[in-house]
Parts: sequence; C-alpha cells; structure tokens
Amino acid sequence: MGARRLVEDMIHKLKDRDSLILVGSVMGLGLILWLMALPLATLPAPIGPAAAQFSAGALTTIELTLWASVFGLVLGILAALGKRSHIPPARWVADLYVWVIRGTPLLLQILFFFLAVPAIAPQLQLSEFWTAVIALSLNVGAYNAEVIRAGINAVPTGQVEAARSLGLSLVYTFWDIVLPQAVRISLPPLANNMVALLKDSSLAYAIGVVELSMVSSRVQAESFQPVPVFMTVAAIYLLLTTTFTQFAAALERKLAVGKR
Amino acid sequence: MQNGTPIIRVEHVYKAWGAFTALNDVSISFNEGEVVCIIGPSGSGKSTLLRTINRLERQNAGRIVVDGIELDDDLKHIDAVRTEVGMVFQSFNLFSHMTVLDNITLAPRRVRKWSADKARQVALELLERVGLSAHAQKYPSQLSGGQQQRVAIARALAMQPKIMLFDEPTSALDPEMVNEVLLVMRDLAESGMTMLIVTHEMGFAREVADRVIFFDHGCIVEESSDPQQFFSNPTHPRAQAFLKQIKHAA
Repeated sequence: MGARRLVEDMIHKLKDRDSLILVGSVMGLGLILWLMALPLATLPAPIGPAAAQFSAGALTTIELTLWASVFGLVLGILAALGKRSHIPPARWVADLYVWVIRGTPLLLQILFFFLAVPAIAPQLQLSEFWTAVIALSLNVGAYNAEVIRAGINAVPTGQVEAARSLGLSLVYTFWDIVLPQAVRISLPPLANNMVALLKDSSLAYAIGVVELSMVSSRVQAESFQPVPVFMTVAAIYLLLTTTFTQFAAALERKLAVGKR
Repeated sequence: MQNGTPIIRVEHVYKAWGAFTALNDVSISFNEGEVVCIIGPSGSGKSTLLRTINRLERQNAGRIVVDGIELDDDLKHIDAVRTEVGMVFQSFNLFSHMTVLDNITLAPRRVRKWSADKARQVALELLERVGLSAHAQKYPSQLSGGQQQRVAIARALAMQPKIMLFDEPTSALDPEMVNEVLLVMRDLAESGMTMLIVTHEMGFAREVADRVIFFDHGCIVEESSDPQQFFSNPTHPRAQAFLKQIKHAA
C-alpha cells in the first residue's frame, strides 16, 4: 500500500505524461548505456563477444554528442547575437564563422582541427576525443546560430518594448523575455540539429576516436560478417536517436504552455 | 490641477523618419497629477510624442526632461526615466511565456530589487484593483483582450511609476471590452496619477481629461484646459473637421 501511494504521489508531482517522458528518456538513455552490454552479450558471434566494445562505443558517441550539444548551443546563441549586433566587427566575425562552417564538409573540419591546427600551433594539440568535440561543437554551433537567430526574430518586438519601458536592462530583457521564447520557437529545429549531430559524430572515426562506427568497422574487419555487425550498430543508433527525439518532442510540448 | 509643477518638459522636439516628420518643433509641459488626452488623426505624431517621453524613440533634436532627469543618450538617465514612467500599449504586449503574476512581478524584482514575496503581494493587490484576482496563474493567451489590457496596466503600475503613458489602450479591443479598461483608467485618474493618454475615445477624454491636446502633422494645433468647451466648440478648423468626422462615424 505504502509503495503504491508513493508511486502515485510521484506521478502526481510529475503532473503529466510529458514530464514522465522527459524523465523517462533521460533515465532510459542512462539505462541503455549502462546495461546495453548485457542483452548484446547473449547474442551469437560476432556480436556477443564484442558486446563490451559496442557498449563503450555507444557511450563515446553519446559523450561526443552531449558535449558538442552544450558547446554548440552556447556558440549558436553567441553567433546569433553577433549576427544581430549593432557592432559591425561582431557581425563580420559571426557571418564569417557561419559562412565557413556551413560551406565546408564536417569531415574536412575534423581533419583540420586534428592535423592542421597542431601544425600551426603545436601547443593546441588535444586528444582525439576533445579535438572531435571542438570540431563538432563549432559545426553544430553554426547551424544553431541560424535557427536561434530566426527564433529571436520571431519574438514580438512589442514585448521587448514593454520590457524596456518597465526599466528592464538590455541584459534582463534578453535573458527573461527574448531568450526563453526564442529557445521555445527554435526547439524543434535545434532538436533536429542535435539528432544530426549524434549521427555526424561518427565522422570522429576519421581521427581515431573509438565511437560506435569505429567499433562496427573494427568488429566487421575481425569477423568478416558485415550484415549482423552493421545491423546491430544501426539498431543502436536508432535507439539513441529515438530517445533524443522523444525527449525533444516532450520538452517542446511541455514548454508550449502559455504560447499563443 | 493646472497649478501643479511641471513633471515633464518637452522643448522644441523634432523627430523624423526620412522625409516623414512625426514631431515638428513640439514644445509642451505636463504637470504633476494632470490627466491629458492627446487626440488627432493617425500619423499626426501623438504616439511618437508618447514614445519619446520614455525614449522608445530618440528625438532628432530638442530637449525632454522627465521628473528632473534629462533624457539624453546616457543609458542611466534613460533607465531612470523608464522606472518612473509606466506605459500601456495598444497591443498589450504581455510576456506570453509568463503567467499574469510573473508578468507583473518581473520588473519590480529585477529593477526595484524587491523580494519575491513583496512583489507578489503588490501584484495581487493590483490584480484585485483591476478586478482580475482570479486570473493570477493564467497565461495571457487564456485571457480576453480587455483582461489582457488590465493586466498590462497592473504590470505598469507595479513599478509604482509617477507617470503613466497610454498609447491608444482601447483601439485593439472589441467594443464590449472597451469599458472595462476605461473604468480602470478612470479609477487611476481619480487617484491623482499623472496620465498622458492617446485615445480615440472622445467621450472618455471629455469626461476625464484636465486638458486636451489636438495634434496634426506633427504639431500641436489646439490645446484646451476646458475639454467640454473643446469638444463642443473647437477653434482650429482641422480640429473642427476631425471632430465632425468622428461624430459622423459614431
């Protein structure tokens, strides 16, 4: 009886289905990464013996994605602000950044940061993982910039005027009024960018980061059984992207409260 | 209320966008506690005058002093004036991602640095005053236009301004909601608030105004401290034509 009350109470506190999905997808992602090796290990060769490798690769893929998402969001906000700035140099830098990143292949950018940057400045040599994080962050940041800029433009100017007329500073006006609404408006395309990022993180393979695609390539090379190996990896990617999209969709519905 | 001290002084203010002149050498002052209705055809500069008084528009030339603060390019002066001057817009401009209560408490907490409790208490009193106590937790999209505008008035009043600017506050409302907003404004006028009101509600202006100003082509062409006299017998031909038009429409 007591346990049931507790569960009911918890559900009541979470209020609705969307909160459950939000919490569920985060916990689900953790569980997938934590326990994935167990079911995989029960599968026949070549999957079973390589279960721990698949699991570690998926963890690296998620780590790459989450770090690059956070940095990419910050970069996106900064670049969006730069593009809207009244200060010409800020606009030039932001425009140049978005133009270069969107106009060149991600694979080239990753190789550039791994090989060319240390050639110019050896002290900037980082591990494969952090090099990949930086390249992916810069890449997704440029795409986020356009999305966030559009979101900022969609916030009614009347609300900004109202905030300013109340004496709110530019910083508070941006933080309290513009940013929350711009992020809400931008959320679906931002989630889209994040799912694309999760898949694009496979390119880190090119500089030797042992993420999911690298694992699949290795296991395939050892076993000469491409079909089960690539199907397994595709299934893991699908599981991860589905968790991400479910999370984003629930977040979008939850934040939609009060929106016109 | 004509013998108060001037709280707003506008001196030779000029404002133009390209070839269009919105304010053409406008000089006028407003006294503390005075209720002034500003009327005139659209595009005549009424709203622009209001918007220069809290610097939503920057004048091209001339001087504006509000409550002893010179409105120049100094951001500190601009923010200081804005904390003393509340503004109500034609399209309400409530923050659509915040509840009614949060709309009202945001600025006092951020700008006046009130505690959440104090801001909340003041907000609830104001909601009571505009007759919306039951709607504190709602979002703007769940309210009617008239209710939204009353929230917007409460939001401006929460900053405890010395002056309230109303920019066509009832023009975007359905006819049956105009009155609820005018009632709140009348109540505010009776409490002694300094109010500048751009409006097309001639009946309201006639009843509430201490002074009426008639704008045309960026200039004040008629000014009267006797609204009854002005509305029944305007002297300037442009004002005569305008009021005649309005009477015909009504």
